[in-house]
Amino acid sequence: MTAAIEGRLHDLSASRPAGSHLLYLPSGKYLRAIAPGYRELLADVVYLWSIQYYSSYDAGDRYKYLDHVYSNVITELDPRYEDPYLIGALIMTMEAGDLEMGLRLLDKGIAANPSDWLLAFEAGFYCYDTLHDYPRAARYFERAMKVPGVHPLVARLRAEMYDRSGDRRASWKYWLEICQSGSDEYTRQVACRHVHDLKIQIDVEELQSAVNAYAAARGANPPSLEALADAGFVERVPRDSEGSAYLYNRATGKVRTVAHPLLRRSFD
Amino acid sequence: MKLYAIAINTFREAIRDRILYLILVFALIMIGAGRAISLLTVGSEEKIMKDMGLAAISLFGVATAIFVGVGLVFKEIEKRTIYVLIAKPIRRSEFILGKYLGLALVLFVNLSIMTLGFYAVLWYKGFLDVTLGKAIVLIFVELLLITAIAIFFSSFSSPFLSSLFTVTSYLIGHLSWGLPLLADKLQSGPGRALCVVLYRVLPNLEYLNIKGEVVHGVPIGGEQVLLAAGYGLLYTALVLMLAIGVFRRRDFV
Amino acid sequence: MSQGEPVLEIRNLRKSYWGHLRLRRNRVLNGLSLTVSSGEIFGLLGQNGAGKTTTIKTLLGLVFPDGGAVRLFGKKSTIVAVKERIGFLPENPYFYEYLTGREFLDYCGRLFGYSAYERQRRTSAMLERVGMASRADSQLRKYSKGMLQRIGLAQALINDPDLVILDEPMSGLDPIGRREFRDIILSLKERGKTVFFSSHILSDAEALCDRVGIVKDGALGAEGKLGELLRPTVRHWEVTYSGPEFAALGAAATLVAVRGTETLARVATEAELAALLEKVRARGGVLISVMPRRDTLEDLYLKEIST
Repeated sequence: MTAAIEGRLHDLSASRPAGSHLLYLPSGKYLRAIAPGYRELLADVVYLWSIQYYSSYDAGDRYKYLDHVYSNVITELDPRYEDPYLIGALIMTMEAGDLEMGLRLLDKGIAANPSDWLLAFEAGFYCYDTLHDYPRAARYFERAMKVPGVHPLVARLRAEMYDRSGDRRASWKYWLEICQSGSDEYTRQVACRHVHDLKIQIDVEELQSAVNAYAAARGANPPSLEALADAGFVERVPRDSEGSAYLYNRATGKVRTVAHPLLRRSFD
Repeated sequence: MKLYAIAINTFREAIRDRILYLILVFALIMIGAGRAISLLTVGSEEKIMKDMGLAAISLFGVATAIFVGVGLVFKEIEKRTIYVLIAKPIRRSEFILGKYLGLALVLFVNLSIMTLGFYAVLWYKGFLDVTLGKAIVLIFVELLLITAIAIFFSSFSSPFLSSLFTVTSYLIGHLSWGLPLLADKLQSGPGRALCVVLYRVLPNLEYLNIKGEVVHGVPIGGEQVLLAAGYGLLYTALVLMLAIGVFRRRDFV
Repeated sequence: MSQGEPVLEIRNLRKSYWGHLRLRRNRVLNGLSLTVSSGEIFGLLGQNGAGKTTTIKTLLGLVFPDGGAVRLFGKKSTIVAVKERIGFLPENPYFYEYLTGREFLDYCGRLFGYSAYERQRRTSAMLERVGMASRADSQLRKYSKGMLQRIGLAQALINDPDLVILDEPMSGLDPIGRREFRDIILSLKERGKTVFFSSHILSDAEALCDRVGIVKDGALGAEGKLGELLRPTVRHWEVTYSGPEFAALGAAATLVAVRGTETLARVATEAELAALLEKVRARGGVLISVMPRRDTLEDLYLKEIST
């Protein structure tokens, strides 16, 4: 008879939407009152439970309260607990497919833990790898770089993000820093190659736009690059990373470099 | 020194109480369980073990303070062992203080054993961090205060009521942050006045709770520890004075 | 302390206890006064609940009176230093179960501030005195009532007090124990100590006390020297004989009882006694016993309590 009762109870509980009991989990603000003096432990307990819950593959709308559990409960009980932000964002982005939710959670973590670079790094990485939102990624990596003791990888990612966002000057600046004071030989080499290539790209771009400005202003292409400097359209005419001059074709008005890029096939 | 004699006698009597060992065993189990449970986590095992260990020390320390403390004075009165003692040339205040010191000694030994177990488990996993000791020091101060409260109630009410009142004081002490919030929500009147009074009068035990901070490695300066300890000890002294005051005018029927 | 000075003075002691939830008031002591002088043995007698124990508790500061004054050795009883000269044995004493007798006495010694040597000396002396020397090293929880009582007396005397206060000291003792206690109490008096005890065993009081007081209705009723309270003269004689029937004797006596062939009669004067005895002998009866009856403490007590 107990088996019958058990069976019935099981059916009843299965018929409720999965995770519905989470609805009754009060916000962390109020849970604090239930465990006076033991908030952090309660955060641990809820976190451990959530891992078990979200790793079992029951059917149902189980991500419905995901945000509630992580943002309102666990991280409210113990805002300095790092793991829930990371794992919560992971579940939110990878499994529930809601990147913005994950990023919001990480933002909360960053705000509560200013001396933790990992959270900003994770957020930046999601923006880079999944969202392909390079400016946003760059902002996150900047935030991470503010923390002393940040992993050197983040510096390289930051520099890279600016490049992909189109802000070559910032990228060049940061690659230069790494080229000069990178942590090891290999890193510095890679950075210096970026510097080499970026300088050329920046110079060519700058010279080209100066030529175009001259042409627009004077009605004809400048006779030479030096003329641009004389006329004040550039401060001075730079040389490329190998010390050679840039090529200028008066007829087409195109500025080119003779140097070969170190990190790609060509500059064009 | 008569205080010392009473304290030692109290200590010897208290360690006979079997509930002490039960509590200690549970504490050590919980500390060990922290190790097992930490295996379930994705992420930092260290945090789980440390949280559980500190919680165990705190929780079971408070349990000891309350359950041994409320019986302390009551048993003497109930069993009338107090009759021959009062007839001796000791002041009633010496008697209560002596009992308190005896219990404080019991708690100290208890806490030390739990801390050793805790450190051993952590050391074995390589997580040992002696700054955890700062939290444990403040836990001890909190225990001293709770014991004083337990003895205060025990000097005039039954163990059941005393434990009830002491537990309530403990809860209010840790929920002290909620009182101003509650007062804001209430209309002007007795309810609001009560909240304000309770907030001012009762100690805020959260000042003695730095478990979260030490586990997260937030630096806690020596000054803060000293101030918090001083706060707790000051309240303890006040409560003991109250207890002495009540005890001195009591009839032993 | 010279002989005859007041060691204990109680003036107009009043004490009430409140019933549950302060609804009823129970007036236990209502103006009790008495004085005990140095070197006396004083017995406080009375029914259970009359206030004997309450009086004693007031002396020791266990209970605070509502009114009146208590002075010990001329000083207020609440002064702690006074307790150096007092010893107290409560009724049904209960001590720390897990201490041995010796350890307990040592603890008491510490409470007087004695040095280790002094404690050791006094503990041994006391154990010897109460006859517990051989059994001092087992735990108190294993003690019989009599043993507890003896240890209790030991701790009461450990400081060689000038005033010894005992609440029902003989209760629960076997005849040998009682005899020993009585001897100890008498020896205290011999050494010039004062003893104040409460009891409802009248024979003990009769045997030991110089003065008694009977508590009734929260105050002291009859009080004074035993010798003065009880008239020493014989009230009547009780004669038991067998043989002749009482009526046939024609004696100026009162028949009390007949049991089989034995008759118990009472006569009021010596003359009547002589006449009765003669008549019995003349009729060939056998004299079994002649008992002079004086006022006993019991008589006084019963009379006091019933008014």
